[in-house]
Amino acid sequence: MREMDPSSGEPSAISRRSFLKGATQVAAAGGIIGAAPASEQDAEVEPEVETLSGSASMELLVNGKSRSVEVEPRTTLLHALRNEMKPPLTGTKEVCGTGSCGACTVLIDGQPAYSCLSLAVTCAGRPITTVEGFGSADAMSDVQQSFCDKDGMMCGFCTPGFVVATHAALDRAPKASLDELKYELSGNFCRCGTYPHVFDAAQAVQKDRARGEDGR
Amino acid sequence: MSRPTSRPAASDPSWGERSDLDVLNRDIPRVDGPVKATGEAVYTHDVRLPDMLWARVLVHPVPRAEIESIDLEAASEMPGVVHIEALKEPGDTVRYLGDDAVLAVVAAETPDQAADALGAIVVQAKRLAPVVTPEQALEEGAPVVSRRRKADSNVGRANERGDEAVADAALAGAVAVVERTFEIPIQHHVCLETHGHVVQPAPDNDQVTVYASTQSVSGTPRGLARTLGRDASKIRVLTPHMGGGFGSKFGPGLEGALAARVANVTGRPVHLMLTRADEFAIAGNRSGSRQNLKVGADSDGRLVGLKLEADKLGGVSGGSLPGPPYIYTVTDGAAVFSKIRSVHTATDGSRAMRAPGHPQASFAMEAAVDELAYLLGMDLVDIRIRNLESAVHHRQLRRVAEEIGWADHPNRDRPGAAVNGRAVGIGFGVSVWGPGGRSSRCDVTVRPDGSVVSATATQDLGTGARTYVAAIVAEELGLTVDMVEARIGDSDLPPSVTSGGSVTTGSSAPAIKDAAHKAREGLEALLTDVLEAPVGSYVWKDGRVSVRGDASRSLPWIAVCALLREPLLAQGEFRDFLHEGRIHGAQAAKVEVDTLTGRVKVLKMVTCQDQGLPLNRLALRSQINGGMVQALSYGLLEQRVFDEQDGFLLSDNLDLYKIAGSQEIPEMVALIDDEDERPSVCGMAEAPVIPGHSAIAGAIHNACGARLTRMPFTADNVLETLYGKI
Repeated sequence: MREMDPSSGEPSAISRRSFLKGATQVAAAGGIIGAAPASEQDAEVEPEVETLSGSASMELLVNGKSRSVEVEPRTTLLHALRNEMKPPLTGTKEVCGTGSCGACTVLIDGQPAYSCLSLAVTCAGRPITTVEGFGSADAMSDVQQSFCDKDGMMCGFCTPGFVVATHAALDRAPKASLDELKYELSGNFCRCGTYPHVFDAAQAVQKDRARGEDGR
Repeated sequence: MSRPTSRPAASDPSWGERSDLDVLNRDIPRVDGPVKATGEAVYTHDVRLPDMLWARVLVHPVPRAEIESIDLEAASEMPGVVHIEALKEPGDTVRYLGDDAVLAVVAAETPDQAADALGAIVVQAKRLAPVVTPEQALEEGAPVVSRRRKADSNVGRANERGDEAVADAALAGAVAVVERTFEIPIQHHVCLETHGHVVQPAPDNDQVTVYASTQSVSGTPRGLARTLGRDASKIRVLTPHMGGGFGSKFGPGLEGALAARVANVTGRPVHLMLTRADEFAIAGNRSGSRQNLKVGADSDGRLVGLKLEADKLGGVSGGSLPGPPYIYTVTDGAAVFSKIRSVHTATDGSRAMRAPGHPQASFAMEAAVDELAYLLGMDLVDIRIRNLESAVHHRQLRRVAEEIGWADHPNRDRPGAAVNGRAVGIGFGVSVWGPGGRSSRCDVTVRPDGSVVSATATQDLGTGARTYVAAIVAEELGLTVDMVEARIGDSDLPPSVTSGGSVTTGSSAPAIKDAAHKAREGLEALLTDVLEAPVGSYVWKDGRVSVRGDASRSLPWIAVCALLREPLLAQGEFRDFLHEGRIHGAQAAKVEVDTLTGRVKVLKMVTCQDQGLPLNRLALRSQINGGMVQALSYGLLEQRVFDEQDGFLLSDNLDLYKIAGSQEIPEMVALIDDEDERPSVCGMAEAPVIPGHSAIAGAIHNACGARLTRMPFTADNVLETLYGKI
């Protein structure tokens, strides 16, 4: 098994296209092995194309920093963040793994996305913001502070996803009504039943931000 | 070195007058809010240790099978595989879809490698009849899947109470009688953090460290002692944060035992968290039930006779259902007859789930009360008050009725009808719970530099336990919450109870209070020479201590602590008189039913709940809301579904097993019953989950006359109830 060595060392050394192309070829070659003698199979492979398999190193731009990760074509952004980074970024949670619950919500290019449904290789060169990117316990974002003030959390496992989704919702629809907020946050599940206090937290941020704008 | 305070307590601790409280009975933001809101909180799922292996289990996809072979050869040669073992031999059977269906465990260097190896295990098995429904279990000649010894059928022994003839006679003499059969599906806990552990082994007889997503920090070392081959005192369990339990995480389970075993064998740390699909298959559930309930009332609406025949559906476990008349009173107790049995299927055993059995009982009983009211032309609130003994329920029902707008509602004593396909209704339900309190300990340490640590092993399931571990001490010593460090989630700390049945607060809070009170008296003993007043005559407030009645004799907190030559350690224990476990709640729900599409939209839910002294009003409202949300989700959406022919669990993901999301959430009002002035504390989380779905079903009936006897209240269920099978 050969691993690709990114020759240039640039963050964008592996484009999504070339990586996937390599990966697809591995799958295709695997399919041929059973059907044709090795020599014929070799003849069919274009000599210029490098066949990739296993993992390769790439750069992800997370919370403003370039981070090196070892990923396979199938590695999700969620697993790259949680398992491949050193140190790992475990604030983003895995709950369903199938794009149902929103616990793994991050921003990609400023847009909320389920990181369990995003392949890491598709994120090369695109700015990614995780819950850790919005603030720290000592310096929280307004949304994070509001979640604390309004008790927009119980067990807390859904909280990072809700915090990211709330940031995205308030950026996209700063003056959203309560019903619109519910729509914006409908991609996230909470099992403890924190929703009413999450809505309180989001509305308190709306008020604070509006007051800030009026003051200017 | 810390030492215990040796002097006996001069006085008993007390919660004090509510008007004197500066910290408790207020909104206290949870102390771990910032780490949770920023992703810094480390859950078991997030633990990453050097050299750690990732383990996965292989669950047989259908409940019953004869294993012909489990071929591990290809899997064991997969990259990164360090440990692989089969848990079944050829010739073994898989008896049910639960821990018995775990066929193998794999540990590898990366999560993907573990998953790949799992996929390379080749299992040859002969499928057996699935037995996943009660009908299949009760069929003539059905395979016996019951785990009871010498069982010859899938029916457990019926528990009969009362005299059927007396109940029949009373029902025959009743003015109004209602009889219905209710079907309640199995519900999953759906803890967002799945079950699992990270086990860090240790050489020889050194202490092993286990991170556990558990409701029982103090109990888990015992649960792993045998597997880890050492005394429980040599096992340290850490649960700094945990992502929900709801009753499903009491013991380490098979997944914990396997993590421990693989760590032992490999000598490396092992991370074993169930996948979401595993979680649905083997991590427990709330039992379902079928209940045939017949209730009669006299012309005044008093319940005079009751008969219940019920099957509890707890898979291979017994399931739970409290006996009738649930919460309500039948005038002659002898006229109540019940026959409750378990029907076993080859499916995962039920576990405790927030108020085990109670929501099931509530659903049938509240429906019967509603229907009797309509038969007699009585107000839904009046008939409840007439049949509930507790004056607390009476005032709570009036309060939620007022909040939901009952007085202005047109259909108070009869169901309404749709206008242009739209109907609005209101329903009610009540709850009780007896949250226990038992042995629990807490250490409070005050250091000469003024820092304070409050430490007990307990776990915070999201209730806010960590916050009151600090807040109770802050109240006693006149400090702010941030001046007290709460340490929890560590089995090396003073032991605490398993969090089940709302016992945590009733057990821990008295021990914390006791420790804080002893610390206060220990400090007051130092002050007798300085401020010249005896122990018990000081006021601790706003970061100062002063002699009661003489504010001029006063010292700031930091100066008091400076009198200490060494840290003061006060050891508190459970004090029964600080706790009282008897609580009540009432709920109301308002819904809109679209009678053309069958869609139900909950518009508003209200709960009024007592619990003695509220420790933290903010977290309390969160818990009340959480109860309402879970009950709404249970009523409207949740249902475990099996493929009856082959036995596949179809609802093993969050797409097909639906839980409530933002858009289902109505206006919610959590009212703390401040007329409850008991000077005691207790847990309350079970109560508010009990009646919400009953109130919603009542509201649907009240809106349009459709009495739903099946859950969940899906559109097809509503339409079928309104118009019959189409």
